[in-house]
Amino acid sequence: MYFVLIYALACLSTCHCHFIEKGKNENHCGLLKQWLKSSLVSVEIVKEGFHREVVTTVELSPDVLSDVRVLLVHRWPRGVFVDPYQLASLSDQSDWQILLDSAIDLEVPAHKTVGFVTYVYPSPDGPTPRLLKVTIPIHGRYHEPSFVELLLRTEKCTQLNNKEPYTAVVAPCTPDNSSTCQWVKLQHQQERGAMGVQFPVGDGSLVRPVCGGTLLVTVLCCVALSKHMWKHRIIKQ
Amino acid sequence: LTNILRGLNASAKKHVLFTASFAIRLTLVAYGDYQDRTMVVKYTDIDYHVFTDAARFITEGQSPYNRSTYRYTPLLAWLLTPNIYLSMVFGKILFIVCDVLSGLLIYRILRLRGLGSETARRVCSLWLLNPLPMGVSSRGNAESILAALVLVTLLCIEARHLIWAAIFYGLSVHMKIYPVTYALPIALTLRTFETRSEENYKRWRWRRFIGFMGSFLNRELFLFASVAGGVFFMLTALFYYMYGWEFLHETYLYHLTRRDIRHNFSPYFYMLYLTTDSRWSQWLGLLAFLPQLILLLVASWAFYSDLAFCCFLHTAIFVSFNKVCTSQYFLWYLCLLPLVIPHLSLSLKQGVGLLLLWFVGQGIWLGPAYFLEFEGYNTFLLIWLAGLLFLIINSSILIQIVAHYKPTQTSQRLKVE
Repeated sequence: MYFVLIYALACLSTCHCHFIEKGKNENHCGLLKQWLKSSLVSVEIVKEGFHREVVTTVELSPDVLSDVRVLLVHRWPRGVFVDPYQLASLSDQSDWQILLDSAIDLEVPAHKTVGFVTYVYPSPDGPTPRLLKVTIPIHGRYHEPSFVELLLRTEKCTQLNNKEPYTAVVAPCTPDNSSTCQWVKLQHQQERGAMGVQFPVGDGSLVRPVCGGTLLVTVLCCVALSKHMWKHRIIKQ
Repeated sequence: LTNILRGLNASAKKHVLFTASFAIRLTLVAYGDYQDRTMVVKYTDIDYHVFTDAARFITEGQSPYNRSTYRYTPLLAWLLTPNIYLSMVFGKILFIVCDVLSGLLIYRILRLRGLGSETARRVCSLWLLNPLPMGVSSRGNAESILAALVLVTLLCIEARHLIWAAIFYGLSVHMKIYPVTYALPIALTLRTFETRSEENYKRWRWRRFIGFMGSFLNRELFLFASVAGGVFFMLTALFYYMYGWEFLHETYLYHLTRRDIRHNFSPYFYMLYLTTDSRWSQWLGLLAFLPQLILLLVASWAFYSDLAFCCFLHTAIFVSFNKVCTSQYFLWYLCLLPLVIPHLSLSLKQGVGLLLLWFVGQGIWLGPAYFLEFEGYNTFLLIWLAGLLFLIINSSILIQIVAHYKPTQTSQRLKVE
């Protein structure tokens, strides 16, 4: 992850623009921006081999109200994938839900596919806790870095002005993908070092000895087995 | 009176064996359910969930191929629709029933080939009380259905019920492609066999060749081929009509052109992985077919008169020399091994030694494979070498089996000094 962005978006179906409400509205949206600035996001990759876990920890600032909704957007490179069936069985046991932006081919190699985006909704049905920890199991194709964005929204922040460094982004409101809402994101927050995952790959320079060795052994076994089968063949009387 | 008692005893022992083996499998299924609910590492195989999801699509009136990685016949998903209507455990019960049924079929085939009831029971307990098929079926793999189909085909041919044999053969080829290799030995068995007399031998070569080709044109073979072919094509046509091109691709073409570059037991795995995108990959794939093909032809011609042994060799060769080899495939020839064992002149020590060698070969492969997949070490070279070693071990075991096989009295072995 080379930079962490924070979004917070507000969504309201009806918009009555009274002056007093507008004032309150701006207050709430301003609060969102404040909370984004003071929240901390950290990402860690655990486990080894082709099956890793990406642990994203979000620490919201202490004055965040409980009706704020959080959305974590991960943009994954084509070198890894998540297993939708595994995630479906995990979501029964965890308090977050995940939405994928495209169908995932579980078997295609990295250079034949594109990256994808996941939307993680911590505690979609309850109040948002201050400390969130989301563990996503991923499986390797090849290695490339990915990065994560933190977005926030609340029902009370209805109209967001797109003032730098905050931008409004449209993303699904809830994991069931029934509607889209505006979320606030913080651009150009502190640059983080590139986070990479390494997977072992075959040694391409050994193509000739491997092919030669394989074909030699298979031919030898074939000849030996044929010889013995013919020698001990059964003749019907 | 003592004979009657002895007879009763044997029958009672048989019932005890079959009941016990079913009970053990049932216990494993129950334990698997418990482990799935309570522990992180699941007992049930991922394939079982694939089957169930595909069955669910069928109950909703859709194609089972909507479930990604479902690469089997729609018949299996149809069979498992009670998983959705009744209980998730129905499929596993079906698989363990087929497993025990396979044991019964092994017993019947052995009796038909002239074995005593006591020996037959002992040999088929090698399958019924074997932890490997127990584990595979209770975890939810469908291999036991195919084992039962292949065994019932062999039993019907042995008992000369050719129409039934052809129906079951067509069905088994529909479910998995590999039984198609049995077509040649079956054809060789069913053709008109002419005893070679001196004057026949002295005839011109091309007349002998025509005589040989002509021997295939007999009523039995024609009947078998048309019924088996009819069953296979009817099922293919039905499912093509229902599910279209996807059915053909996922059930058959995928397996024929499958290039699994991820690590598996096959000796070709690393070669295919390194050459995935090179222009030689097509030729290498075809080249890898040649040893398999040659060995299958030689095995057919050398052993067709003992069909069970021939089919065992066919499947063992097919699996060992295949471009993709996973441990599930071992069950395809292990179900035929009990038919071969009574005729092996190996001592117990030799037999156990070969078995241990087979397990050691797998263990040597599993070590570096674990480190690659779960610890991230680059052990590709070691896995490749272990794959080659496993092929050498498999070939040696097969050579030992072939060298120590004593067929039944109706045939005579030719020994070339």
